Amino acid sequence: MAVGMPEFVENPENRCPVILLLDTSGSMSGQPIQELNRGLAAFKQDVLKDSQASLSVEVAIITFGPIVKLTQDFVTIDQFTPPTLEVDGRTPMGAAIEYALDFLENRKQTYKDNGILYYRPWVFLITDGAPNDSWESAAQRLRQAEAQSRLSFFAVGVKGADMNILKQISPPQRPPVRLDGLDFREMFVWLSASMKRVSSGKVGQAVALPSMGWGQITS
Amino acid sequence: MNWKAVARSAIGTSHQKQGIGCQDYGDYRIFDDVIVGAVADGAGSAKHSDVGAKLAVETVLKCFSEINEFPQKQDSQPLSKEEAQKVFAEIVNKVITELQKQADEGDYAVNDLACTLLVFVANPDCIAAMQIGDGFIVMRSQESEYQLLFQPDKGEFINETTFITSTNALKEMQVKVITEKQEFISASTDGLEKVAIRLSDWQPFSPFFKPLEEYLHEPVNSEDEDKYLMEFLNSERLNSRTDDDKTLLLCLFDRE
Repeated sequence: MAVGMPEFVENPENRCPVILLLDTSGSMSGQPIQELNRGLAAFKQDVLKDSQASLSVEVAIITFGPIVKLTQDFVTIDQFTPPTLEVDGRTPMGAAIEYALDFLENRKQTYKDNGILYYRPWVFLITDGAPNDSWESAAQRLRQAEAQSRLSFFAVGVKGADMNILKQISPPQRPPVRLDGLDFREMFVWLSASMKRVSSGKVGQAVALPSMGWGQITS
Repeated sequence: MNWKAVARSAIGTSHQKQGIGCQDYGDYRIFDDVIVGAVADGAGSAKHSDVGAKLAVETVLKCFSEINEFPQKQDSQPLSKEEAQKVFAEIVNKVITELQKQADEGDYAVNDLACTLLVFVANPDCIAAMQIGDGFIVMRSQESEYQLLFQPDKGEFINETTFITSTNALKEMQVKVITEKQEFISASTDGLEKVAIRLSDWQPFSPFFKPLEEYLHEPVNSEDEDKYLMEFLNSERLNSRTDDDKTLLLCLFDRE
């Protein structure tokens, strides 16, 4: 008698959430925002090359400037349409961070309610300026969340960014990175490569991230 | 009436791509009407976890061989959970000692050998099992459905679990004794978790296990005849659902 092959249970993929916290204040106008938009498209293209990652990596975009706005709710990369971001106004970075933290905890609850397993979320902040709202309590919450291993936070400063404040926001073990010029594309390809590694990471794996060819750690 | 068993591992596609070897290992031993099986999954972050996984499994089987050299020491009564806990704790300590020895010889840290460990020992009427870390043991007793023995041990995030080298390994060790007439037992590493277990309610998916059980019922399924299992483990369809290493240890008690 021929024996059939095992059938697979209909089962959701593990999720690897990443929140892009993007500065869309007035100072980003012109080339920076264009490059950022191109970078987002490159991110999608690159993750799509990995069939497992494209079903696992979920991206959400929160923009700040002039207001804090959920520009893209969490979607897996295969469903993601890179937006064309526009710029205006001030830089409410503190409020954006607080929003992101709440948003992330909500997302985790949704995963739990649906029995979906997930990797440690990433929050990736990109800015060319300095917050012009109060950011201290947001920074404290963020550092606390990092210390409790609830997320991993990465800050990227584009030319003009106040690296000193970014350093105070970032967790001590992961100082902000200064982007070389406007090489968002390289940065997003790195992010993609990192997410691919994380989303195929084995249990207990401390994933070694690819080296950052696109920026430098500011000490 | 006898046990039939087969154990096979296949390398995950992500490991192939990265040029890493298979970090899983599984094996079994049959002593008259008792079968002992063990499966280990080396931690991806540990440098020599393939060595650790193999050594852990071999040490477990060796421990049971030693126990079985003295049949008069065996009790025909099924173990209580407390007794099983004690036996498994001794074996885990023995495994840790062996891993430590290996690490000393190779001049590296015992954490470089980190792996998960699942062990079961069964006779036709009873199964005792333990688990440290993730992966799963599924069994089916006569006229009942497949049941998952332990919920895999995961932290908040999927890529976090306990390893045998973790300081809390013994504390996190899960142990169970089930006194039922055994038909089928399967132990696997976490590479097969999401295709074999429905994660929303942790129920084994019977269309996954049924063909495997039927396969063991086929007349030819000795260790030499592994084409079916290897074809399955290396199938494109399976690899599209998991890129991790995968190990399957299957046992059937044939009452005919």
